[in-house]
Order: sequence, then C-alpha cells, then structure tokens
Amino acid sequence: MKKLDRLGWAEGVAVRTFGVHAGVRLSVAGSLPQVLPMLPPGFTKSRKATVQRLYSLVVAEGNQRAGVRRMHILYADSLRIARDTELQQVLAALETDLHRYVSEASPDMTFLHAGVVGWRGRAILLPGHSLSGKTTLVREMLRLGATYYSDEFAVVDNSGNVHPFPRPLGIREDSTYAQTKYTPEMLGAASGVKPLPLGAVVLCKYKAGARWRPASLSHGQGVLELIANSIAVRNRPQQTLQRIQKLVKGAIFVKGTRGEAHESAESILNLLHGSSRGEKV
Amino acid sequence: MKEREYPRARVDCLTRDFGDELLVYDQQRNVGHCLNPAAAAAWKLCDGKKSTSEVAEILTQQLSTPVSESVVHLALDELSKARLLVDAKHPVRRTSRRHAIRALGIAGAIALPLVTSLVAPTPARAASCLANGKPCVSAAQCCSGKCGVTSGHCGG
Repeated sequence: MKKLDRLGWAEGVAVRTFGVHAGVRLSVAGSLPQVLPMLPPGFTKSRKATVQRLYSLVVAEGNQRAGVRRMHILYADSLRIARDTELQQVLAALETDLHRYVSEASPDMTFLHAGVVGWRGRAILLPGHSLSGKTTLVREMLRLGATYYSDEFAVVDNSGNVHPFPRPLGIREDSTYAQTKYTPEMLGAASGVKPLPLGAVVLCKYKAGARWRPASLSHGQGVLELIANSIAVRNRPQQTLQRIQKLVKGAIFVKGTRGEAHESAESILNLLHGSSRGEKV
Repeated sequence: MKEREYPRARVDCLTRDFGDELLVYDQQRNVGHCLNPAAAAAWKLCDGKKSTSEVAEILTQQLSTPVSESVVHLALDELSKARLLVDAKHPVRRTSRRHAIRALGIAGAIALPLVTSLVAPTPARAASCLANGKPCVSAAQCCSGKCGVTSGHCGG
C-alpha cells in the first residue's frame, strides 16, 4: 500500500453509501466525471479522513503506440483487481467490485440479489442469479407502469422495508454478454424513492415457450430461496435472518417457469390484488 | 450400531419460526434448512431425554393426527441427514417414506416430516457475475472468482 501511496494522485472522492465509507483516487486529473456514475446510487460525499475500502485507478496517459500497450490499472486497497487498455472496462470492474463490497459490508442494510419494482405501494422481488432474466422482467413491468427500484439488489432495512438501489438497468440487446445501460427514465418509468413493504416474491425461471402458471410457496420455503440470494448471510446470518423475517411478513411467494416476459409481467403485477396466500394463482 | 433412542437436537444453530415451519441456519456449515411443521415439531422435541415413542405420543397431540414411531424415525432420518442432531454420525433406524405413508394413511400424509436444505452462497456467488468463458478484466466480475490474466476470460 505504501508503494501505491507514493504514486502521485491527482484527484479523488470519498463517499458514504448504505453505511459504508469508500474512496476512489485517480492518477490523472479530469477522470472523476467518468468514475462518479460507477458509484452506488444514492451515495453522499464524505469528509471522513479514512475509508473502509480505497480504490486507486492508474489512468494510462499518452497515445497507444504499436508495440506498447498502455494499461489502465485498478487497485482495491493494495490488491490489483483489473487492468486493461480500455478505461471503460476497468471502470466496469470498479463498479462491480464496489457494489459487491458495499452489499457485503453494509451494516445498515441486508442485500438480496433480486430485481425489484414498486407496485401499488408494495415491493415485488424477483430473486435470481445472473442471466435468469430479472432485468428483462423488470423492464417489462416498468412498461406496465411499475416503479423502478433495482435490477440487481433488494436492499432491506431493520424494519423489513425495501429501499431503492436504482442503478441503470443493464440490458443485453443480443445473445452476447455485453450490456447497454438504460436509466428508468429512458424507458419511460420512474425510480422509487420511498422504502416499501414487501408485497410478493416471485421466483421464476425462463424457458422458451413456457406458460406462466405459478404455484404458491410456503413462507419457510420462500425464505430459503431468499437466503440463496443473500449476499452477506455467511458473514452475518443472525442479522440477515432477522431482517428477512420482518421483510416477508404479509408477503406472498410464488414460483414457476415463465415464457416471454410480456406474457408473465402483467400476471405478476396482478398478484398484489388478485390472490391471497395459499391459493393457486 | 447403537440405535438412537433419545435423540438430541443441535443447539448451536440459528432458528426462526415462519408460521408452523422452522428455518434453521447451520453457521458451521453455512447451510439453511426449512423444516416443515412435522419435522419442526419433532426437532423441537429432541432434547436427549424423550424416547422416540414419547416423541410420537406428543406429536400425535400436537399435530392432531396419529403419529407412529416409524414417522418419528423418518423425521430423525431427515434431521440426521441434514446434520441437525447431535452425534449424527450414528445412523438412525431407516424408515422409508412409503412405509410411513402407509402407516399414516393418505389423510395423515400432512404429518410427514420434510427437511429442505440449501447451501448459503458466497458473496461472489450471490451477486451478478460472469460465467466461465466470458470476457473479463477483474476476478470480481467472474462467478468462479478467476479471470485469466492472459486469456482475459472468466475461469482462467
């Protein structure tokens, strides 16, 4: 770390987000505006002298020449975590690592890996792993008038309410992994501001041509599925279970296989005023 | 092999009630278990002092359905497999689910104990990540936690 500290740092920013203090410093002045969109949504600048996690971004200067590859290098504390000739790639690595760190280290909130929308004053959670189609479903529900909360994390407080984590939606336009970022406003939707109580948890898998006929799930089984998508359950199991217990009070759980998002999105939104616990929906 | 007559539940796990179900989190193995009402009731009765026949009697009252000793053995089998009993290395008497259903009858099948288990994910596994073979610049981006230095792809 001392070696890194000795490098010349031109500018930086310290932020507080969900109770976590993090900082980013840059070797070249003028790169900060590119870094700020990578920080977790809702961050506030902090004046704290020390941070829990410090990112150091060495920005390659000068033109790329034949035979010489100028690398942008990113360190998390003293560990080099990314290097590439493309600054955008390294900034994407910064975003991934920082968001993950915050989701793991936040003392104030429990992070569940899930897409979230707000509907009729309640949150609908779509837990799922990468490439399970969360963002596609969230996007479709936004089209139907839902409020955007997140396509990545359900952020749960001590009272069991769900807070927004409205990072831009990462939409895969084709079969490649490359994502294009869209703000909810670009999709004609609004971002949620207020924390919401949970209305429904929808566990679904995509299968081409499948018909959405979900079955209700018991609370115990549903909570087990939430644990499978909980970021910090291994580090803070007690706190995680406590918050999940408050989160799921009065919520319904359904599970099923879905086909195209537009076929299931409306039915999912209707869950909040069309069914009660224990019924086949 | 010595048979378990006085089963004892582990007390070092975190538990939370969800209606009649019980969620048990094993902090040593990082495994979550969902015990259905019958399994939860049986597990709570495993105090190392009650015999399996006593547990069966109490369960009959609690679940308002006749619970035979073979159902208790099935519960102990499930709990033992989930490593929720002390000294789980001693095998409990094996009882098949079919045999238990026969003893209970279809109407009593609701009293069949069931334990569903799931390994808690590591933070990297729980968050969005890239599958093996996808281009990466940082290990944090990959589900495997490995981004090949020379290949620039997840998984090495």
